[in-house]
Order: sequence, then C-alpha cells, then structure tokens
Amino acid sequence: MDLENRLTRFQTRRQLFRNCGFGVGKMALASMLADGLLGAGKGHFPAKADHVIFLFMAGGPSHLELFDYKPELAKWDGKPTPESFLKGKRFAFMDTFSKETPKLLGTRRNFTQHGNSGHYFSDLVPHIGSIADDLTVLHGVSTENFNHGPAKMFANTGSIRAGRPSVGSWVTYGIGSESKDLPGFVVLQSGPRGPRSGAALWSSGFLPTSYQGIPFRNVGDPILNLSTPKGVTPEQQRQTIEVLKDLNQMELEETADAEIATRIAQYEMAYQMQTSGPELIDFGKESKETLEMYGAEPGKSSFGNNCLLARRLVERGVRFVQLYHTDWDHHDDITKPLDLVAKEVDRASAALIKDLKQRGLLDRTLVVWSGEFGRTPMGEVREKGKIGRNHHIDSFSMFMAGGGLKPGIKHGASDEFGFSPTEGKIEIHDIHATILNQLGLNHTKLTFKSQGRDFRLTDVAGRVINPILS
Amino acid sequence: MLRFSFIFLAAVPLMAQDGAEALSILKKNCAGCHNVNSVNGGLALDSKEAILKGGNRGPAARVILEAVKQAGDLKMPKGGKKLTDAEIAVLEKWVQAGMPAPESFLKAKRRTSKHWAFQPIRPKPANATIDTFILAKLQEKGLALSPRADKRTLLRRVHLDLTGLPPTPAQLEAFLKDDSPTAYEKVVDQLLASPAYGERWGRHWLDVARYSDTDGYTIDAPRDIWPYRDWVLNAINKDMPFDQFVIEQVAGDLLPNATNDQIIATGFHRNTPSNYEGGIDFEQYRVEAVADRVATTGSAFLGLTLGCARCHDHKYDPVTQREFYQIFAFWNGVDEVDKEEDRKYFNRPFLEIGSDEEKARQVKWEADIQALELKIRKHQESLTENADKDPTLIALRKEIADLRKQKPKLLRTLIMKERPTPRPSYIHLGGDFTRKGSPVQPGGIAVLPPMPENANRLDFAKWLVAKDNPLTPRVTVNRVWQKYFGRGIVDTESDFGLVGDRPTHPELLDYLAASFIESNWSQKALHKLIVSSATYQQASLPRPDAAAVDPDNKLLSKQNRLRLDAEIIRDSALVSSGLITEKLGGPSFFPPIPPGALSVTQVVREWKTATGAERYRRGMYTFFQRSAAHPSLTVFDAADGITSCTRRIRSNSPLQALTLLNDESSVEFAAALAQRIVKEAPANESARLRHGFELAVQRAPRPRETDRLLRFVRQQRDSQTEANETALWTSVARVLLNLDEFMTRE
Repeated sequence: MDLENRLTRFQTRRQLFRNCGFGVGKMALASMLADGLLGAGKGHFPAKADHVIFLFMAGGPSHLELFDYKPELAKWDGKPTPESFLKGKRFAFMDTFSKETPKLLGTRRNFTQHGNSGHYFSDLVPHIGSIADDLTVLHGVSTENFNHGPAKMFANTGSIRAGRPSVGSWVTYGIGSESKDLPGFVVLQSGPRGPRSGAALWSSGFLPTSYQGIPFRNVGDPILNLSTPKGVTPEQQRQTIEVLKDLNQMELEETADAEIATRIAQYEMAYQMQTSGPELIDFGKESKETLEMYGAEPGKSSFGNNCLLARRLVERGVRFVQLYHTDWDHHDDITKPLDLVAKEVDRASAALIKDLKQRGLLDRTLVVWSGEFGRTPMGEVREKGKIGRNHHIDSFSMFMAGGGLKPGIKHGASDEFGFSPTEGKIEIHDIHATILNQLGLNHTKLTFKSQGRDFRLTDVAGRVINPILS
Repeated sequence: MLRFSFIFLAAVPLMAQDGAEALSILKKNCAGCHNVNSVNGGLALDSKEAILKGGNRGPAARVILEAVKQAGDLKMPKGGKKLTDAEIAVLEKWVQAGMPAPESFLKAKRRTSKHWAFQPIRPKPANATIDTFILAKLQEKGLALSPRADKRTLLRRVHLDLTGLPPTPAQLEAFLKDDSPTAYEKVVDQLLASPAYGERWGRHWLDVARYSDTDGYTIDAPRDIWPYRDWVLNAINKDMPFDQFVIEQVAGDLLPNATNDQIIATGFHRNTPSNYEGGIDFEQYRVEAVADRVATTGSAFLGLTLGCARCHDHKYDPVTQREFYQIFAFWNGVDEVDKEEDRKYFNRPFLEIGSDEEKARQVKWEADIQALELKIRKHQESLTENADKDPTLIALRKEIADLRKQKPKLLRTLIMKERPTPRPSYIHLGGDFTRKGSPVQPGGIAVLPPMPENANRLDFAKWLVAKDNPLTPRVTVNRVWQKYFGRGIVDTESDFGLVGDRPTHPELLDYLAASFIESNWSQKALHKLIVSSATYQQASLPRPDAAAVDPDNKLLSKQNRLRLDAEIIRDSALVSSGLITEKLGGPSFFPPIPPGALSVTQVVREWKTATGAERYRRGMYTFFQRSAAHPSLTVFDAADGITSCTRRIRSNSPLQALTLLNDESSVEFAAALAQRIVKEAPANESARLRHGFELAVQRAPRPRETDRLLRFVRQQRDSQTEANETALWTSVARVLLNLDEFMTRE
C-alpha cells in the first residue's frame, strides 16, 4: 500500500487500528502512537542522524561580528556604501537608509583562526572557537524576508506566512519519535522575551496537532498541566487512570471505535509523562563539572539550562529539540548589548556539542546554530554616538555539528563586505532539505495534502547541501 | 524546399488579407499551449480579443513577435523549435496590418470545463429525500441503514450538533416521556430557536472567517472585532438567508444606505492578521492580507484552491494567474495602510461603535470642543495685540487641550471601506508584489458564470451567490453535512477542483444544494432537513456486515462517533456541573490559563482571569490570542485563527488527557459537578453514581460500569484520612468528565 497516500488523511490512525483488529497489545499501541508516517525511525533511506537540536538565535546575530571575517570591510569603515550594493535592494527600516547613503561599518572585534580547520571566530565566542574542528560552518546563507516575524516563520516552517508545519513537525510526522513518555518535538525558550510570532513557529500547521512542538516552560509545570491537581495523591491519580481505562475499555467493546483504544493509550502516556517530566528537569544527578561546563544552575531559566535539558531530552529519545534565545536584534548598538547576549550563548552552545561528543551522542545528533538572518555591513545610526546594524538577508553565517556532517569544514562564502554570497547560494530551503536528508527523509517525498495541494517543507525548492555531508 | 519557400512567400500578400496564413501558423505552433482552456503565461492565442488583451506580460501582439524571433529572454515555441524566417515575416505583416481575421476569430472564446463541480445543479427529483439517495447506494452493496439510535443517544446527539450543549436532565426527561410522533421534531424546532444554536453554528463560521481577538504576526496586540463575531451569531440566530449573509460580509459597506450592522459584517475579511512590527514595508503585508482574502474566498465559497494561482496559473484547475489578480482587485481598493507614514492608522478602516450613552458622551464632547473653539476664536478676535500672553486665552487653550485628552474611547471594529481612488491592480509576476506584470481589472473566473462589466466588490459578492453559480451552494451544504457526519459528501471540503475528491453521493449533494436555494437559503431549514433524516438519526454502533465493503463508512450504514470540538468539551462540563453562564456575545472573556502558557510570545500580555459568572461562559468566547492561543483550545484542535479553517482535525493526544485531568478549570468543573451530585441525588453511592453519570453522558451506567465505579469509590474512601464527601465525589466527577464518551458525540 502506498504509505503516503494511506496516511495523508487524519482518519488514518483509525484505519490502522481497524486493519489490525482489536488484538493490539498495549505495547504495540504505544509504539504506534509515537510512530510517524513511515514508522518510527524509518525514513525514505537509512538515516545518518536520529535527533536534531536547533539552537535558534532570535533577532538576527551579526555574522560580521561573530563568524564572517572581513578585513576589507574594516578598510572601508565609515565610507559611504557603493551605489552598486544598494541599487534595487530593499531593506527593513528603509526610512533610516533612505535619508542618506548608509556608511559601511568595519567590525571592532578581533578575529582569530582556530584549530586545524582554521575557522575564523571573533573574541565574542571563545568557547565556540575552542570546538572549531567539530563545526561545519556555512557562509553566504540567504533568506527571503527582512522582518523578524516572517523571517522566523520562514526559518522554522519554510514559509513567511503562518499556518505551515514547522521543521520539527515535519520530522516527527515523517519518522515519529523514540520516546514513549515524552513528546517527540520539544520547544525551549530563554532570553528576555519569547520569539516573535510565538506558537506559529512550532505549529503543526495542517498536520495533526499531535506533531506540534510542545513548549517546556520555565514558569509552572515544564509541560502545561503536568502536575496532578492539589490534593490528589499519586496513588489516586493512578487509580483514576485505571478506572478510566476500564470504563473506556467497556465503551470500546460496545462501540468498537478504535479511537477509544487510542484514548486509553494516550491517558497511559499522559500518566507516564507525569513521572518522566519532573525526572527530566531534575538536574540533581548531573555532575558539578557538567553543570559548570554549561553554566547551568538548577531551578533557573537560562540558555545554559536549556542546552543541558536538550541533551537530556535527546538521551531520552526525543526526536527534535528546538531552542530559542532572544535577543540578537542590535540596531542601535552593536557593542555592549552584543557582548552580553554572546556571553549568554557562547559557553553553553560549545558545552552542548562537547558534551554530546563525549557521551557518543554527537554522531547521531545534528546540532544547528542559526538566526533568522544576519546584519548589514552598513552601520545604522538611530541614536547619536551609537552604531548598530540593520537586518540583512542576502548573506549570513550559521554553523552545524554532528549528525553525519563533515566536521571542521566551511562551505559557501560571501564577498569582501559580507554582503552577498560568492560561491553559489545557500538558501533556507537547502538547510531544511539537508536536515531532513540526515534523518533519512527525502524532502521532495515528505508531503501532506492540504487544500488540494501536496505541501512540503521545502515548497518547490531546496537542494541537499552535498559537499558538507560525510 | 527552396521552391516551396518561394511559393509560400509569394502567397503572403494575398493571404494576409484575411489572416488565414498567420492564423494557421499560430494554430500549428502556438495555440496548443496558448488557448482559452490552456492559458500558459495567461495568454490565449485563439481569438483576436484574447491577443489584444494579452497575457501576464501585457498585450500580446508585440510579445508574440519578440518571442518567435527569440531575441530576448522569452523564446517561443518551447522545446528548441524556431519558426522559419518566412513564417515570422507572415506574422509580422499580419500584426502590422492590424491582425485581420475572419469573424469566427474575433471574439474571445469562453473557457469551458466539463468538470462535475462547474455544471449546473440538477433539479430535485420528485419524491426524493436524503434517505432515498443514501439507501440507493447502500442497497447496491446489499446494505441498509442502521436502526434509529436510542432516544437518549439521539437527544444528546441533536443537542450537541445544533447547540453545542448536552441536554439537561429536565430536557432529557421531557423527551423520554413524549411518545408523540412529533417529539423529535419539537426538540429540533426548540433547539433551532435557542440562542445557543447561533453560538454553535456561528463558531463553525468563525473558523472559516479566521476570527481572532488579536492582530497576529509579531506584535499580536488585542483588536476590537468581536462586534463582527456577534453579528455572525445574531445573523445565524435570525436565520438570515445565506446569500444575504455572504453579501453583507463581503460587501455590506457598499449596499445602498448600508446600516452599521451591514458595515460591521464586513469585518469578515478584516480578520486577516496584520503586521506592523518596526521596519516593515506596509505594502507587503497589505498585499498578503488581500491575497488571503482571495484564497479564503476560494476555500470558503467556491471550493477552489485559488491560492494556488497566486504565483502561476493553477496547475490543475481552470483558474489563471490573471483571474487570481482579477479577484484580488476587488479588495485592492480597500483603504488599508500601505506606507510607513500612515503607521499610526495601522488598523484602518474601522467603525467606531458604542452604547447610546457612550455615543451621547461622544456627541457632547464634540459639541463642547466646538463651543470652546468658538469661544477661543471670539476671544482672539477681541484681542488687539500680544494674544499669546493673554491670561484668558492661555486658560482657554489649556482647557481645550485637556478636553481633547478626554476624548471618549469608542469601540473600533475593523471593517471594509473603499479608498476615494482605487489602487491600480497588476498581476504579480511569480507572486512577488514588487514585480508588476500586466494591469488587471476586477473580474471573475471564466469557467464560472460571467460577471457584469466594471464589477465592484458588491457585484462580486452577488456573483458568489448568484442563481447560476453552482459552487457556493454545493460547497456550503457539503460543509454543513460534514459537521453532522465527520466527512463531507465531497471529502475534500475546500477543494471541488479537478484533483479534489469526487462526491460519494453526487445527486444527494445537488438535492441538498437545490433544497437550500429553494428554501431561500435558510440555514435552519437545511439543518432541519438533515437532522430529520433517518440517515442522521441512525445508531453509531458497529456494523460488522458493512466493514468489509465499506470500511470507512462512506456509504453511511451507521452514524459516526465524533470527538467533540474543543469549546464543546468545555461547554459540556459547564452544563453537566451546572456552572454555565448563558450570555450571548460581548467582549471575549479570560478563563483561567495554566501558568507559563503566555510566556512564549514576544510581548506577554495581561490575562485578567475572569471571576464570577463571566468565568463560566462558553468556550467560544475565550479570548483568542493568535501567537499564544489558550492551550485547552489548541490541544483539542481548535482553528488557529490565522488561515481560514474549513475542517478541524480530530487528534488524540496525551496533552488532551493532561488538560482534562489536571487543568485548573477541569478541576473546578469536577468540584462543581460533585456538589451537584451530593446535593441532588439520594445519599447512597449507587444513586449518586447514577446521577453523576447521567449528568455527564445522559445515560445510566450499565451494571458492570456501576460495579467498577463503586470499586473506585471504595478506593477513594479508603485513601481518605478523614471523611470528606465533596472530595470523594470530586474524584468521581473527575473520572466522569474524562470518559471518552463524555467528549464524544455518538
């Protein structure tokens, strides 16, 4: 039977049960719930990676201050931007750029080469620099929209419009999850505020909501409503689940509606989540060294804590962990505010990769570090005496690690100002195609029919970036 | 070859007179891909009118010549072929001569399609009923309908379907006692007359309308558009004919002497998200909203995936990119903000509304301002010099400035309003609003009935519900049918196009559509027609005999068990526990929300949790914030309020279990149900169990269910350190409000 067709309708699960009859044991039930389109872990071809941790740097980190070393730009510092760079281009905050020709801005940061790979990193990210040889760095990446909300949507769902499934949803829809007591797609957030566009970024769009990202919160329960209500003991909760199971089972025998069998299994899973959730966020068993490496402090909300949590999630079989850290949007001042956010992120980003590696998890875990866009080589002056950078979509940098990629290499390049790519375009759809590829999914075949059309994450574009695959 | 060319060339001057040679070249080389039924590049070359109108790149005569000469980027014919120089010369001469052609070539041909959905609705066969169509298909497979559902199941079903509320014990008792043949019909009439009907079916429409209480995108601030929501509820309760319902929402503002209500109705297409984060190009998001209106018009009324034609001609259906922008043009003249300078008017156009008292205050304020202005002017005139230092004038100026600050704040509901001068509309090449192609005028879709010349938005609205437009009625009745059976007669409810599913019962679909129109588009009549059928009223119990031949129950040999919608699960608990506040309309309310649920957005907005009666309003009034919708709605698959939703998915997840087991509201409802059980039932366990069970699912527990629940009651009693009846029955109520049956319509 054609799996894709069989599963493009949401009644599917019903049908599955019908075909299987009622002899399905509890184990089989539970595994079916976690399965994706092609069965848990089974993609279109053998996977190179089983998990993804996406470290999303919300606001648009400046590639020119972090990764993309441009000595030539420094020489042009303060000079008006050549007309050829601006002609026919559209930028965010056009009004500030249209008043007078913007001036180029050389970076004030010191860049050095690291490791055998010779990757350039600035002194803002010494820890990331220290693991240069584990990183696959991409330069000259471009995106389509220069405003935060739509650009974030594009990076997370492949469309600037809300309502499409996110990368994590497509992945769990495709290959399910290995975890039986945690959601397959988890969202973690740190920084002063949530990412713009909010839940649209981890929405399952037109896919069933069971594939949506589940935010683990810093306030209250890690998963909404995870705690048993006040006054209800664990024993009573267990008894409640049991009596519900028995009563629903009786109803199942009356109606033969397979949906009830699913419901029974979901209540069981909810109960297991109540146990595994608190255990997951309890860092008590982590060593002092580990906590220090991440800069994690139990009970606090931080990027460091979330990185450690991401590792723990992956250890427990969670398929896709999406982190957001705000805020990299440095329009007015690219000095101290940038120092601060780089500091919040540098240590833990590196710690996560090191930790995954030492535990043998990096081979099968793809880590992606990126924002929604980069920042302009031109300075932006909003306040006298301060200078920042505007949004830039034609060329920015990102890095990845593990998950079957070639470590210690760079791919793509930008011109001497970091304005445009020079070695062919790398687009967001290409990044998505590559992520799916590492998980054993062909981005042109992973489709879902909605509103009369077969939709895919990569729309009508996307090419796997073959040169970076090991 | 040479000789042939010579003859050919020699023949040109003669033949160019009637264009036959040129037409033959076009036909042989071009018209295969460029004709009225296959308009690649938006271009048809099978009539002079079509050539003059041109394709996406503009009038075609010049484009044809450039393309066949293959000097520019456009090289035709496709596939490496090239016309001979002689042929090109013929074409060139023909164009120069003003494209002479025979009569038959002059007028544009009308695009036609044999596709079922575009054909006229067939008249109703004599003596037909819903059941005759269903039975006919069943009998082909040797099947029959299931028996009628038992009275309790049927009453619960029809209550939930028509009002979204389960029956109360009194309603149940009355129905069980009534043995008259009209017992059921009486109930149906009562339900259709109750305000809750408008809330239930209004909510279905609000899914289509992508209704939400916030702006969406990055800022996602609250907006006042609930007057539109209330307009929908009232229109449905009044049984406004559906054609009028559509006309007022699409173009109520353009009706002669439009009333405020008719203007409020146009909020329908202002429910689109709006973006005004810093640094945007307002035009881009205005265009997004307009494109959304086209796509929503397609899925909501026409059952066509019009959105597919935004970047290129539709891949499957007879809809060209030009036609997309013709429809786009109907909303392109709406007075929405398109540039940074107008940022402060970002939610324009809106209508200010308020109570009589508020309006009176507004009128008084305006009068006071005018009086003060007059006073100032008069005083100024009396002054001879140094007016700026005059103490009276300074005081008066301060007074008016203070008064201006006290301007009464009236509600601003988003509406449609045309600009004084329309914006020109173009084809956006590749769907990119910065790449303007050929200009377009407002217009319709060729395979559908024609639209009047110089049509405006009102004409378009009327065209949607015109007698000869078969799509809108078919799509509408199909969507209604889908709510009752979980699947439409056409399974792809928003795609009646060439790759959409065929109707399982085409004659039934037309019968319903024809009945709908015949009843003057009465939605209530349509509901009554469906719920009165034996097909609707049959049991949902398994049919082993049908499982093999009709595994998906497409032929409807039984009713389908359907999980309730998110809001209705809440409403059911409110009715069971007796907490419900029945209040139609008004601003949305804020039920308790789990801590942290709002922490995921850029701006964490205030959530003033409702207290008192307001706290127990129906789920559909829950304040809907697009970027962080209430989790009890999203886990149960409520519409996202971002894009038009014509069918909700029914997922089944552990988060649903966590919500119904542990959420603050769930616990509160269970406690209230427990109190009710203890208060209303005789003080013995069996009687209390029975009462609670009936309140939750409107039937008595079966003996083995009672036994199992009694065992649970004993367990709870044993685990109590001190006796507490309310706590005990709260545990039981919690179980009842988590039963699969509780959240299911059988």
